[in-house]
Amino acid sequence: MYDAIFVSPWPWWVGGPAIGLVVILLAWLAGKPLGVSTGYGSACALGSRLSFFRGKEFEQPWRLWFIVGLPVGGVAAALLAGTLAPTTAYGQLDLLTNGSLVAKAGLLFGGGLLVGGGARWAGGCPSGHSIVGIAQGAVSSIVATVGFMVGGVVVFNLLYAIFGG
Amino acid sequence: MSPPLFMLFGILFGFILSRAGVTDYDVIAGMFRLTDVHLFGVIGSAIGTAALGFWALRRAGNRTISGEPIDLRRKPWQRGAIWGGLVLGAGWALTGACPGTSLVQVGEGKLVALFTVAGILAGTYVYGWFRSRLNTPTVSSPQVQEVLRP
Repeated sequence: MYDAIFVSPWPWWVGGPAIGLVVILLAWLAGKPLGVSTGYGSACALGSRLSFFRGKEFEQPWRLWFIVGLPVGGVAAALLAGTLAPTTAYGQLDLLTNGSLVAKAGLLFGGGLLVGGGARWAGGCPSGHSIVGIAQGAVSSIVATVGFMVGGVVVFNLLYAIFGG
Repeated sequence: MSPPLFMLFGILFGFILSRAGVTDYDVIAGMFRLTDVHLFGVIGSAIGTAALGFWALRRAGNRTISGEPIDLRRKPWQRGAIWGGLVLGAGWALTGACPGTSLVQVGEGKLVALFTVAGILAGTYVYGWFRSRLNTPTVSSPQVQEVLRP
C-alpha cells in the first residue's frame, strides 16, 4: 500500500483524476480557479512598478502562497519515495547536452523565457488553460492547448533532429 | 480563506504532479515524441474529472462549502492564445517543464530546474515590460501633447 501511494509512479488513471480533484477542492473549499502562471506575474508585481503588473489579476496574494507550496510538495513526494538526493542530472537532456552543465542551463533558461512570456501572451499555462479552462469549455483554452502541443511537438523533434539523441 | 492557507493546496498539487510523473523530463519527451500515451491520459482524465466537478458545483448553485460564490469565469477569447500557446509549447519542449512542474522539480532535488524557474520569471517580466511600454501613453504621443498644451 505504502509502495503504491508513495514509491511506484502512479498510472495515468490515478494521476489525472487526482489532479482534477485538487482543481475541484480549490473551487469548492476556497472558490478559486487553479492556475500557476499568474502567480509568476504576482511575484513580478512584488518587485516591479511596471503598469502591466498593476493589473488586477496579479493582486491575488493567494496565488503566491499557492506556488510557494509547489516545491514543498515536490520535497514531500521525493522524501516519502526515498529518492530525495539533489542532483544536476536531468534525464535524456543530459545526452543531448553531452553532460555540459552550461549548455543545459542555457537551454533551460532560454526555454523558460519562452514559457514565461508565452504563458502571459496566451493568458495561462498547461494547468490554468489545458485543465481548468478546457474543463470549463473556454474556447481560448482549447486553442492555447492546441498551440502548446503543436509548438511542443515541432520544436522538440527539431531539437533532437538537429542536435542528435 | 486567509492567503497563507493556500500553501496547503500548493503542497498537495505539487505532491500529486510529482507522483503523476509529469515532472519527469523523460515522460514529457515521450509525449512530444508521440511514443508515450501516459501524459495524454493524465491530462485527459484530469480535464474529465474537473469538468464533472464543475458541473456538479454549478448544479449546486456555484457556492463554496461556506456559501461564498465560486470564481469560475471563463477565460475570455483573445488572439494571444494562438501565438502565446505556440511560444509556450516551444519553451515546454526545450525545458520539459511548465510553470507548475518546474517549481515541483526544484523541490524534488532537480537543481537545474532553478534555471527554468528563473527563465520563466524573467520571461514573465520581459512580456510585462513590453506590454507596459506599448500600453502606456508617452508624452510624445499626439493626444497627450494636446492635453498638456494649454
